[in-house]
Amino acid sequence: MAAIIETSGLTRSYGDICALKPLDLCVPEGEWLTVMGHSGSGKSTLLNLLGGLDRPSGGSIHVRGTDLATLSEDGLARFRRDCVGIIFQQHHLIPYLTALENVMMSQYFHSVPDEAEARHALERVGLGHRLKNRPGELSGGEQQRVCIARAIINSPRLLLGDEPTGNLDHKSTTMVMELLRELRDEERFSIVMVTHNQEVAAWGDRTIHMDDGCLVREERTKSC
Amino acid sequence: MLTALKVIPQLLCWAVLVPVMCRSLTGMSTAVAAAAGFVAGVAGENLLLAYVGGELPFRPLRGICGVIFLLLWGASVWALYRSGSTSPESGQPTPSPLASGAAALGTGVLAGALTLCRLAPLEGGAVRLVPYLTLACAGAAVALGAAYAARFLPQRLVPRGIPLVALVVSALMLMACSVQRLDLFSPLSMEVMKFVHDFVHQFFESMLIPDHPFFRADVWGYIGLLFGDKVGLWGGLALWYLPVLLIALSLRLERLPSVAHIRQGAARRKLLASFIHERRLRLAAPLLALVFLTGAAYQSRFPATEYWDPKPVEVSANPAGQIAIPKKGEIDLEDGKLHKFSYRQGSREARFFVMLTPAGQLVTTLDACAICQPEGYGQAGNAVICYYCRTLIPLETVGKPGGCNPVPVPCSVKGDAVVIDGMTLVNTWESTVQVTAHGKGMGK
Ligand SMILES: Nc1ncnc2c1ncn2[C@@H]1O[C@H](COP(=O)(O)OP(=O)(O)O)[C@@H](O)[C@H]1O
Ligand SMILES: [Mg+2]
Repeated sequence: MAAIIETSGLTRSYGDICALKPLDLCVPEGEWLTVMGHSGSGKSTLLNLLGGLDRPSGGSIHVRGTDLATLSEDGLARFRRDCVGIIFQQHHLIPYLTALENVMMSQYFHSVPDEAEARHALERVGLGHRLKNRPGELSGGEQQRVCIARAIINSPRLLLGDEPTGNLDHKSTTMVMELLRELRDEERFSIVMVTHNQEVAAWGDRTIHMDDGCLVREERTKSC
Repeated sequence: MLTALKVIPQLLCWAVLVPVMCRSLTGMSTAVAAAAGFVAGVAGENLLLAYVGGELPFRPLRGICGVIFLLLWGASVWALYRSGSTSPESGQPTPSPLASGAAALGTGVLAGALTLCRLAPLEGGAVRLVPYLTLACAGAAVALGAAYAARFLPQRLVPRGIPLVALVVSALMLMACSVQRLDLFSPLSMEVMKFVHDFVHQFFESMLIPDHPFFRADVWGYIGLLFGDKVGLWGGLALWYLPVLLIALSLRLERLPSVAHIRQGAARRKLLASFIHERRLRLAAPLLALVFLTGAAYQSRFPATEYWDPKPVEVSANPAGQIAIPKKGEIDLEDGKLHKFSYRQGSREARFFVMLTPAGQLVTTLDACAICQPEGYGQAGNAVICYYCRTLIPLETVGKPGGCNPVPVPCSVKGDAVVIDGMTLVNTWESTVQVTAHGKGMGK
């Protein structure tokens, strides 16, 4: 299977802190990769590089064949808009817009807003009845599901999650994970997800463990 | 050297027009046709100036410009009518080489003729050889050079069909309005003013409104606006811009190609966004046309023409109080130009001019009108202009009272002299001319 992500010798340092030591990683198209590790081990750094939110200090990073290191700021923005969807631990929803408007905002930056489609996306994540609610009026699990709707609305090929379930209880976590699996099976995008939670890691196809900016261990949760 | 500067705006216009036409029509052959047309236009117009003279080289040209402006109006209405029913896919067929060649040639001829007119000497006659040849070469060179520059014009910005027509016509309008005698905007606004005045007048006469109890002072204030000299300007501007605005509107209303066949939402929206973006880019041509039209209106409002404005000659009256000016003395009163005189009677003073109207009548008027500061008049081509309010008065109406026309003074032709009564002259000046405390009175 073709690789959606290929890095070689990828590094990122902040001053003299080396947050990411040379890393070679290959993620095949359609894979669900989980990244685990202690706090400060460079997981978010890796994710930000994959999502084009940050630029590497060295090495190369190819996502769907394009080398992100060579893209201009505009190109990087276009890459983020067209190819990736990102879910954070903090939902980063716009507090004064409704759930529907938050999703439409993402459409607006991508191309043009389409209310019917946004509504449909929210229905798919099970929020058909909370369209007109602002983020403050939603539970943590619901907020995270709005984020998922927002992240997938532009049909990204790569979904990145930085501890998306970090703030959720067991029940909401399971709901969110089930939803992600369902969506992935339908849309066939790849997922790279950072988590601390063993249970969450079990949902993925493969887990890598990081420590102090290095990939220390890799395990397959099930065959794919 | 200065003559060269005069035609720069027109050549710039030309330099913008040709690459657009090249890209929109058939490339290099369009440029060649345009260049040939320009040279032919320059040569033809100069021949007319040299051998026909008078107003004849200008009239038909102005007529043609008026007609193409009317055609633009028609095209704009047609574009608007059609806009809802077509989508760009079914768009304009590419014009045949013959048609586009003819269009380029015609545009070239007009542009050449209009540009040459800018150089035409006010006192008549042809343009001298050196500027004439230089202009012809420059126009042709600009056209051919533009064909090269056209390569760098993004295809998506190139207008087709009616927006192209709008661009060409508005560029030609700018070229025409730079020449006082070809100016279309001033007559347009003058017509609007006349129409509004007549209309309001008729309306009031038929309604006997002045007696109406509802008409209070402030209502009269608003009605007064209709009689202000700005009504012509604003009305004229509206008629001037409207066709291009309608064309822009029709582009805006154009239906986008259907994207319904694309199943995936994001891809569908992306395609739709690109169509919307392209439609927005197509507004570039009407926008540029509006800039041209603004330039044209500006040129017409604040013409860069040197006016024929002779220094007033002091005259005195004979013991009977009559001022007699010989028709063919030092000054030839019947050469069609205005001739200024000033007359002093004790501490009282009046300025007036004498000229032969196109109708062949010698008229005498004050060098002032009844409504403006008496800054006097200058002559350019077939009009005199009031320096104060910049209104152009066609020579045909000089000698008739009203508006900003110079105030007529009775005169008689006795033998080979024009005779004016000094007392009447001074009294007319004092009773009609508005002199404010700023002391602009005998200003000039
Ligand atoms: N913007 C930054 N400036 C300086 N140091 C940073 C920055 N971001 C992260 N770091 C450092 O890089 C290391 C890895 O951080 P991070 O990737 O956020 O860890 P994780 O997400 O695994 O907890 C940490 O030591 C952190 O202090
Ligand atoms: Mg982190």
